[in-house]
Amino acid sequence: METQIQLACEEIAGKSDARIVRFKGDLDATNVDFVTEQITNYFGDGLVKIIADFKQLRYVNSTGLGVLLHFNKSAKEKGGCFKIVNLNENVYEIIEIIGAASLLDIYDELSEAIAALD
Amino acid sequence: MRIRTGQAMKNNALTMEISSHEGGAEIAVLRIAGALDFSGIAMLSNFFDKITAENRSYVVVDLAGIEAICSAALGEFMGYRKRFVERGGSLVFAGLSGNIRSKLTLLGANKIFSFYQDVRGAINAYKWDYKKQSKSLTVAFPASLKLVPPVRQLAARLARQKGYSVKDAFRIETIVDEVCNNAVEHGLHGQENLVEMRVAIDKEKVDISVSNRSDPGKVAALKELIKPVTQGGGTHVGHNDKRGRGLALIRMLSNDMDVNITEHGTSVHVIKLREE
Repeated sequence: METQIQLACEEIAGKSDARIVRFKGDLDATNVDFVTEQITNYFGDGLVKIIADFKQLRYVNSTGLGVLLHFNKSAKEKGGCFKIVNLNENVYEIIEIIGAASLLDIYDELSEAIAALD
Repeated sequence: MRIRTGQAMKNNALTMEISSHEGGAEIAVLRIAGALDFSGIAMLSNFFDKITAENRSYVVVDLAGIEAICSAALGEFMGYRKRFVERGGSLVFAGLSGNIRSKLTLLGANKIFSFYQDVRGAINAYKWDYKKQSKSLTVAFPASLKLVPPVRQLAARLARQKGYSVKDAFRIETIVDEVCNNAVEHGLHGQENLVEMRVAIDKEKVDISVSNRSDPGKVAALKELIKPVTQGGGTHVGHNDKRGRGLALIRMLSNDMDVNITEHGTSVHVIKLREE
């Protein structure tokens, strides 16, 4: 009965060490291990600049928020980044209320996040 | 008990009858069938006088059998509605056909009267709006994280069903999720150890209670763990914080939170006021 989450990875033209990862579903305690494994694999493959597109991410709880903070920290330690775009209003409220908005790299538009990779 | 005014009255194929046994002492259901034109207004007034004399303040006018309604009759309904509202009740319509609904909407009645699909819906709305009746739901599930998502989603659906906004339902879903996750994570695990969640929802607030069995040997550690949040601080977290985000989130999203940890188990009680 794990909550459904799907990750789809896309290349970014001219950025060999970067990927867009599109999240779809709910990020919670039932699937953080799966998500952690996927993102860690990207980091391990040298893809240390990740743009997480949350356009279709409906829900995040505190456990999910914990792994997002972990990705952000890990990416920076590897000389990369973990940027978040297209947050829905409800998910943003959870991130903001817990005081994590200032700790994460959040952008309104995908194009802004791509431009900020340089 | 069904009260008829002597018998159902007829006027140019128009019939009216009062039912007073559907929903309680304050409610009257007035069923009207046929064509309600100017000639039927005297009959309508007669019925409303009887309803008023019985001290009933919430009137459901069942229009399921109505074929036509004139604007003068609508004016009469408006006048009586005003009187019932002044007495702390209302007058609402139920069972409108497509044609009658269109006509009343064209006359602007939808801005004044509430329309319900049927009498039962109108009575339920009365109990919800005026009597502050709550709807509750209790779920007991084995202490497994995998079972938390359907429970939290159930709570959110209940909130939506009861008219709460998407945003409020999302907050309720989050609170239930976090409280249940904590119960599973910090309580005893396994099929035989149940987590019980109760949600009681009324028009103004949601009352959430979650209880679980705990390991008596971990009670002191658990109390220490929640201290930063329950004693007023610790609502914001840093990169390296591993603990306390869930409880901090519950505290920030709710209007009142109480955590009770004993050797027998842990119970968390949260009140979330409706915001939208």
